[in-house]
Amino acid sequence: MAFDQQKVLLFGVAAAVRLLLFTAFPSLPNLLTGRVEISTPVTSFKRLQEGVFLYTHNVSPYDGGVFHQAPLLLPLFSLLPNPAFHPFATNLLYTVVDLLGANALMQIAESWQSAAPRLFKSSRKDLRWSSIAIGAGFLFNPFTITTCIARPTSALTNLFILISMAKASQGAGATFVLALSFASYLAMHPILLFPPLLLLCYDARATKTKSTPPLLTFAVVHVLALAAALGGLLYLSALLMGSWEFLAATYGVRLLLPDLTPNVGLWWYFFTEMFDSFREFFLGVFWLHVVSYVPGLTIRLRKQPLFVATTLTGIFAVFTPYPSIADGTLYLSLVPLFRHLFPLMRYTFLASSTILYASFIGPAFYYLWIYAGSGNANFFYAITLVWSLGLSVIVGDSLYAALRDELDVERPELRGKEVKRI
Amino acid sequence: MALISTLLALRRDPRILKLPPYLSALCILVGVVWLLVLPLNEYSRNTYVSENALLPGQVHTYFTGSEHNIFRAYRHEVAALVDTSVQERTQRLGDIFRSSNLKVATQKYEYHASGRNISNQNVYAILHGPRADATEAIVLIGAWRNMADEVNHSGVALVLTLARYFKRWSLWSKDIIFLVSGDSTSGPQAWVDAYHDSYSPASIEPLSIKSGALQGAVAIDYPAGPWGHRYDKLHVVYDGVNGQLPNLDLFNTAVSIASGQMGIGCTLQRMWKHDDSYQERLQTMLRGMISQGLGHASGPHSSFIPYHVDAITLQTVGNGWHDEMSLGRTVESLFRSLNNLLEHLHQSFFFYLLMQANRFVSIGTYLPSAMLIAVNFTITSIALWVQSGRGVSTPNPASATPKASPDSKTSKPDSMTAAEKSGAIALIPTTSLAITERKLFLPLAFILASHFLGLLPLYIFNNTSEPYLGLAFNTITAVTTSLPVLTALLLSKFLCPTEQETTLIQCFSLLLLGMYLSALATLNFSLSFLVGIFASPLTFVRSLAPQTPPTTQSPQIPPSFVSKNRKSLSATMVILLVLLNPLVVIRAATLYWGATIVEVLVQAAEGWHVWGLWTQVVVWLVWWPAWFAGSVVVAGGLFA
Repeated sequence: MAFDQQKVLLFGVAAAVRLLLFTAFPSLPNLLTGRVEISTPVTSFKRLQEGVFLYTHNVSPYDGGVFHQAPLLLPLFSLLPNPAFHPFATNLLYTVVDLLGANALMQIAESWQSAAPRLFKSSRKDLRWSSIAIGAGFLFNPFTITTCIARPTSALTNLFILISMAKASQGAGATFVLALSFASYLAMHPILLFPPLLLLCYDARATKTKSTPPLLTFAVVHVLALAAALGGLLYLSALLMGSWEFLAATYGVRLLLPDLTPNVGLWWYFFTEMFDSFREFFLGVFWLHVVSYVPGLTIRLRKQPLFVATTLTGIFAVFTPYPSIADGTLYLSLVPLFRHLFPLMRYTFLASSTILYASFIGPAFYYLWIYAGSGNANFFYAITLVWSLGLSVIVGDSLYAALRDELDVERPELRGKEVKRI
Repeated sequence: MALISTLLALRRDPRILKLPPYLSALCILVGVVWLLVLPLNEYSRNTYVSENALLPGQVHTYFTGSEHNIFRAYRHEVAALVDTSVQERTQRLGDIFRSSNLKVATQKYEYHASGRNISNQNVYAILHGPRADATEAIVLIGAWRNMADEVNHSGVALVLTLARYFKRWSLWSKDIIFLVSGDSTSGPQAWVDAYHDSYSPASIEPLSIKSGALQGAVAIDYPAGPWGHRYDKLHVVYDGVNGQLPNLDLFNTAVSIASGQMGIGCTLQRMWKHDDSYQERLQTMLRGMISQGLGHASGPHSSFIPYHVDAITLQTVGNGWHDEMSLGRTVESLFRSLNNLLEHLHQSFFFYLLMQANRFVSIGTYLPSAMLIAVNFTITSIALWVQSGRGVSTPNPASATPKASPDSKTSKPDSMTAAEKSGAIALIPTTSLAITERKLFLPLAFILASHFLGLLPLYIFNNTSEPYLGLAFNTITAVTTSLPVLTALLLSKFLCPTEQETTLIQCFSLLLLGMYLSALATLNFSLSFLVGIFASPLTFVRSLAPQTPPTTQSPQIPPSFVSKNRKSLSATMVILLVLLNPLVVIRAATLYWGATIVEVLVQAAEGWHVWGLWTQVVVWLVWWPAWFAGSVVVAGGLFA
């Protein structure tokens, strides 16, 4: 019971911090909602409110070209009282979303899939943090708290990604597919997590029960289930909206990047500078680049599917068209699951200082560009490059550590020796 | 390849760890010297007007003759209003504007800061430009009282006269707003806040009439009484709140019109006498930096700059032969130039240091100096991080002086590890190969707590009423001075931080300081530089904990000077750091400039509540926590 008490205490404090920030600084949510680092055109709470307003007045929310989020969010948020006057329900919803996310994260930690999956036992698997510590790392991460206060819908996407990971690592196939289909329905790119999570789910199932179906059958069943779930969600949306035009306004925007509002990612600046005739070509190249990580990592690190999924979230936080710090915070909360890799990582200090510096200088440069008028777009873009550099250093460094960890198990005689890339 | 392996071999060399303090010292030295060479001809530039549309001094000015009589009449009108109530004064000034066929409105404001009640009334009039479509406007300000709290007789009279005069011209392609604000700081702030709809209705009234986007603002500060006073020079004041500056083109236009067209000398930063020597240039620049670093409002124009409205104040100084009409003509010519603008001032620099009315350095030239100061903290913090991972310190195996006893030869097999690389074998001290896990919890919690602790004095100083401010300052000075020693005592009693944890506390504190200062340098160069200079000793102080008990392998190492005088050295450093306590520094600065501490604190609190001043946040959440962490680390040496 002592364990549960700790969990209750953790969740209580985390909820109290969030609700206190909401109530003590009533102008803070609106301030943060306007920050480009947190709210992107496809996740912003402000745009969601605009969509809800149009929806409740029986106008198609996608007509104005402002709202680019999934249609099923509309009935959900139109049920809540107007956040301009009665923000408590919305605040509570986002607090609960964070707590559920932390709960899912703790389930992943307890499943032991990070250090000791079915096919691979890390030689350092005893080096791990308790699930309480990992949950606290998620709940008290300043980026998570800021995201929660700013209320972008990426908080919901993160929740569904975490749940699908948790369910996959428990081997619960149905809930995993359902959660992942929700995440992909909301944000599209999480569907790329399907291959590694499918393997994770298969491994977890195989560890639990002795008789498992062959991988191919398992995969086909789950692919069909995912297609059915996604199809169902999309059909429900079409019923709700009365037409299929929402597809172009939501997934079309995510794919084709018509809205070039600055964000912490790398795409917007490129595409403001791009000649129009090359636009389609580079869109293709940029997307191909993001997608290409999925098969490569899944095949190379077949033995550690959870690590592949984690690394992919890190890659999404850098290379998707509309990333925000919410994507970064998802990755940074998943990394502590791999505590056993930390002794092998070489640039933790460098990477964390880079992220720290970027998160302070970024708003300063944005201020110089937009408000003071004394800087320009290059200032902010330079800092988003630094932010992405910090994240990619962690991605690269942890990949190195994971490979090294595998090498240590395969070739114990090489332990502690310098390795060279050939 | 050879180079890479040399570099990799260097990485393990313990001498590398000896380098950072010298590197940091070099950074600070270069940073300061960099600043000192800026006034030289080779590093600064002559000012020039970048925006072609401004055409300064190209128009003939007609503000002469009979306007002088009207000005004298208005000056007497103004003088008659000095002893009347605010309401009556506003009424009368409004009537005068109305008699020139202008739309008039008033605005009441009431702020509370340090238990004082700042309330007054603004009155303003709008001249609709005959060729304008009410999308752009320029502002002419005459504050009722200037920064020295004198009644701005001639300034207000000149605004009234110019309003009447400008109304007769048909060439204005922008609206002109004439603002007579109740005072020099909060009045313009209330007005400009309300103009941009960002105000709390509790303290200020909304504006009933408005015009378009503000393109520029010029304030006149001419406190000569009803019988006039001939002045010598124009003092151009340009610092905005939080150290923001107006576009350099506006300043250049004003200087070139005043000195080129009207023959009035211009001066800045209270340098009444300036003969362009190195010393005077440097002094001007340093005064500019201090003013920018403090970030306080320096005139009625200051409140406009945060809204990206370029603004300056023209102040008359000295005894000479220039009269009010030449000031009027200067303003007329300046407004004709601003009237020409096709777009917002953007061509010239927003970040600059001026060292004379026509000499400046731009950000590209001076920024490295503050950045170098900030980088010095980052270098030391990286070094401390590496050091904290190295575990027990080892004697330098490469040092030529065999300090270690002959015994060390025999102990070599234990303490050394053979590393083989392409056939060559190297002996490396085992200790420098071992990876030490860092215990991060205590250092991180300490740093976090010290930042939160800084909120307390920030709150107290901003919300104490005036009579108690002096007492509050003295109490907090005493508390903060003794707090590091007490904290170190408590820490060593209850938590017994290891040497590694102490190192990490300093590492994180310096890392954050370096980060804050480099971000701040892009916003307010001077503040970042000043804080960096005062915090620079924190780079060089260390906790002098007793060396780990000598191992059996080298018992004969004679105790060094440092370990013999550990306590006294620690005590010296603690005393040195007490002198660098932000509060002590502020007290010393007020003594040097002859200001009283209460005055400064009242200004700061007004700045916090009214102008949106951020300087105290930097002091309490950047400078003070860094000083506190450094002092606790050093004081730890007393009790270890």
